[in-house]
Amino acid sequence: MKKALSLLLCLALVATMTAGCSGSSSKSDSDVIKVGVFEPLTGANASGGELELEGVQLANKARPEVLGKKVELVTADNKSDKAEATTAAARLIEKDKVCAILGSWGSSLSMAAGDLVKSNKVPAIALSATNPQVTLGNDYYFRVCFLDPFQGTVMANYAAKTLGAKKVAIVQEVSNDYSVGLAKFFTDAFTKLTGDSSAIVATGNYNTGDQDFNGILTNIKATNPDVIFAPGNYTESALLIKQARALGITCPIIGGDTWETNEFITVGGADVEGAVMSTFFDDTNPPTEAGKTMVTAYKAEYPDRANVPAVTALGYDGYMLLLDAIERAGSADPQAIRDALAQTKDFEGATGMITINENGDAEKDGAIIKVVKDGKFTYLDNVTITK
Amino acid sequence: MKNTQNSLGTYLKTHWKTVVFLIVVLIGIGIADQMVNSFVRRLLNLSAIYTIVALSMNLINGFTGQFSLGQAGFMAIGAYTVAIFTVPVGLRATIFYMAPMAPFLANIQLPFVVALLLGGVLTTIVAFLIGAPCLRLRGDYLAIATLGFSEIIRIVFTNTQTITNGALGIKSIPTISSLWWTFGTAIIIIIACFLLISSSYGRAFKSIREDEIAAEAMGVGLFKTKMTSFLISAFFTGIGGGLYAALLGTVDPKQFYFTLTYNFVLIIVLGGMGSISGTIISSFIVTLGQEALRFLDEPMAFGLDLPIFKPGLRMVVFSFLLMVVVLFYRKGLMGTNELTWDFIGQKYQSIKARFTKKAASTQGGDK
Repeated sequence: MKKALSLLLCLALVATMTAGCSGSSSKSDSDVIKVGVFEPLTGANASGGELELEGVQLANKARPEVLGKKVELVTADNKSDKAEATTAAARLIEKDKVCAILGSWGSSLSMAAGDLVKSNKVPAIALSATNPQVTLGNDYYFRVCFLDPFQGTVMANYAAKTLGAKKVAIVQEVSNDYSVGLAKFFTDAFTKLTGDSSAIVATGNYNTGDQDFNGILTNIKATNPDVIFAPGNYTESALLIKQARALGITCPIIGGDTWETNEFITVGGADVEGAVMSTFFDDTNPPTEAGKTMVTAYKAEYPDRANVPAVTALGYDGYMLLLDAIERAGSADPQAIRDALAQTKDFEGATGMITINENGDAEKDGAIIKVVKDGKFTYLDNVTITK
Repeated sequence: MKNTQNSLGTYLKTHWKTVVFLIVVLIGIGIADQMVNSFVRRLLNLSAIYTIVALSMNLINGFTGQFSLGQAGFMAIGAYTVAIFTVPVGLRATIFYMAPMAPFLANIQLPFVVALLLGGVLTTIVAFLIGAPCLRLRGDYLAIATLGFSEIIRIVFTNTQTITNGALGIKSIPTISSLWWTFGTAIIIIIACFLLISSSYGRAFKSIREDEIAAEAMGVGLFKTKMTSFLISAFFTGIGGGLYAALLGTVDPKQFYFTLTYNFVLIIVLGGMGSISGTIISSFIVTLGQEALRFLDEPMAFGLDLPIFKPGLRMVVFSFLLMVVVLFYRKGLMGTNELTWDFIGQKYQSIKARFTKKAASTQGGDK
C-alpha cells in the first residue's frame, strides 16, 4: 500500500513537471505583443517588486493595446536572487519570446540580467534601479528613474543651500550598493558646493540587519555636524534616527528615496518627524498631465491606499515609454524597439519629462523633496539642478 | 607496455557499459550544446555547477561525516578570484568608479582557466587555515567555524572596496555559455570523486564517518584524513564558485549569504548523504524542478483565475514535494547506494518479481 502510494506521488511529481513544460507555449503569438516583467515577487525584495508590478499593471489597464495588437504582460519572479534572476530573464527571452523586458527592482538583479538582454538583443527598461552600472556599457538597458549621482547631488544641494549646512556626517549601509553609491556622490557634490574638503566630518558604517547604532552615533555626536546624511534601508534608518534622537542629536537627518515606505514611519514613530528625503514622485503635485491621469487611475484601482508609491509611478512610466517606443518603431521587433527607445525625446511620463541620453539613462533635471509631517510623507520642495 | 594494454583490455571488458554510457553522455552534451536555446542551456549549466558544489559538499559531509557549512564562503572566494582576474583591464575604471582598483591588481588579467584554478587553490589555502585548528577536534566545531567563516568572508568582501568593489559588486565578467565548461568540469570532478571514494583514501573517509574511534584504532590518521577530504572539497567548491561567477557575469557579496549553503545541504540530503549519483540526480531535480513548476506562479495556470496561483506558490509546492520524497526515502533518493549497473539490475529484478508475484496472486484469487 505504502509502495503504491509512493509510486503514485512520484507519478504526480513527474506529471506536474511535464505539465509545466508543455502548458504555457501553445497560444498563437501573432496578434499579441508580449512584454516581460521581471521582478522580485518573493524573497527579501518582494515588497518593492510588487509595487513596481502594480504600476505596470495599472498602465497596462490604461493602455492595453498598441499597433492594434493586445499587449500581454508575462511576469517572471526572480526570487530576489541573482542566479534565479538570470534564469527568469532567459526564460522571458527564449521561452516566452517577449519583445522587451521591464524591471527589475534592485540594481544588482537588473545587472545580472544585463548580459542576457545584451547578447539576445532584447531591450530592457529598468524602473527604479538607480546604480549607474545597470546601463553602463549596455546598449540594450534603459531606465526611467534618475541615477545615484543625481540623487546624491540633489541632497547635497538641499543640505548646503536650503539647510545652510557646513559640516555633514554620513552614515552608510556598507553592504548596500545603493547606500554606498549615494553616500559617495553626496560627498563629492557637497565638498564641491562648500569648497571645503573636510566638510564631511564623520562617516559611520553599518550592515544590513544591524539594530544598534549607538557606537556610530556617539562618534558623530562628538563632531557636532549640522546635518546627518543617512541613505539606506528603511528599517535600519528608522532605528538609527530613533537612537540618534535618544542620544540628544537634534540636527536634521536626511536620506534617499528608499525611506518612503510606511514601515519607515511605523518603526520610527514620532522620532522620524522632520526626516527629509529625495524621491521620484509626489502624488499631491504631479509634474505632468500624464501624472495626474496616473494618480486618478491609481486612486480608482486602490481606493484604500494613502498615497501613490514612487516606484509604482516609475513602473507606470516604464510601460508607457515602452508602448510609445513600439508605436514609434511601428513594429514589435526588439531591435526596432531598442532604436526607438534610444531616440526618446521629451516623452511625457507621470514622473516628469523623459529624454533618453546616450547611456540609456533618463535625463531628469528635478527631484522631489519630501518630509515626514504628522506621520505622513508630505511634499516639501522641488529641487532642480542645472548642469 | 603489453601489461598496460592488457589491463586496459580487461578494464574495457568489465566496464564496457560504463564506457558506452560515458560516450553517450558526451555525445548528448555535444548535441545539446548545438541545439538548445539559451534558457535551457542556462538551466543545464546551473545544474552542472550545482552538481560540482554539492558533490564537493557531499565529500566532506556525506562521506567523511564532518559537518561543514562553509560552501557559500568557499564559492565566494572562487567566484571573486575569477571576477577580479578575468574582467578586461579596459573596463575596470568604469566598474571601480567608487574607488579605483588596488594598483597591484589593476593591470593583471589572466585567462579564464588559470583564474579558475587559482580560485580553487586560494580556496584550498583558506580551507587549510580553517581546518587546521577545527579538524583536530571532534564534534560540531567544524560546522560552527565554517558557518562563521562564510559570514566573515562576505563581510570582508563587502569592505575591501579597492579589491572587490565592495557592495557594488563586479560586473562585465566574460561569460561562458558553452555547456562544455560546466559539464566538462563536472564530469572530471565526478570521475575524480568516484576514483577517490573507491580508493583506500575513500575507505578511510567512510571509516571516520562510521566511527572515529574504531577508525583510529585501525590506524587511520584522523586529522590527516579529514584534512585531505576537507581540502579536496574546498578546491572543488572554489572551482564551482568560479564557474558560477562566469555563468552569471556579475558577483556581489549578497549572493553569498549562508542561505546559499542551505541549497547544497538540501541537494545532498535529497540525493543521499554519501552517494555520488544521488547528488548528481538531485542537483538536476532541484534546479530543473524549481523552473518546471514556474507555471504555478502564473495567474491563469489552468485557464481558471484561481487566487492561489500567484508568485511564491511554486516554492510551496516544491517544498511539499521535497517533504514527500523525504518521507518515503528517509536516507535521500539513493541513500548510500550508487547508481551502478548492478544496482539497476537488482531494482529491475525486484520490480519484475513484484509484478509477476502480483499477477500470480491475482490469478490465484480468481480460482
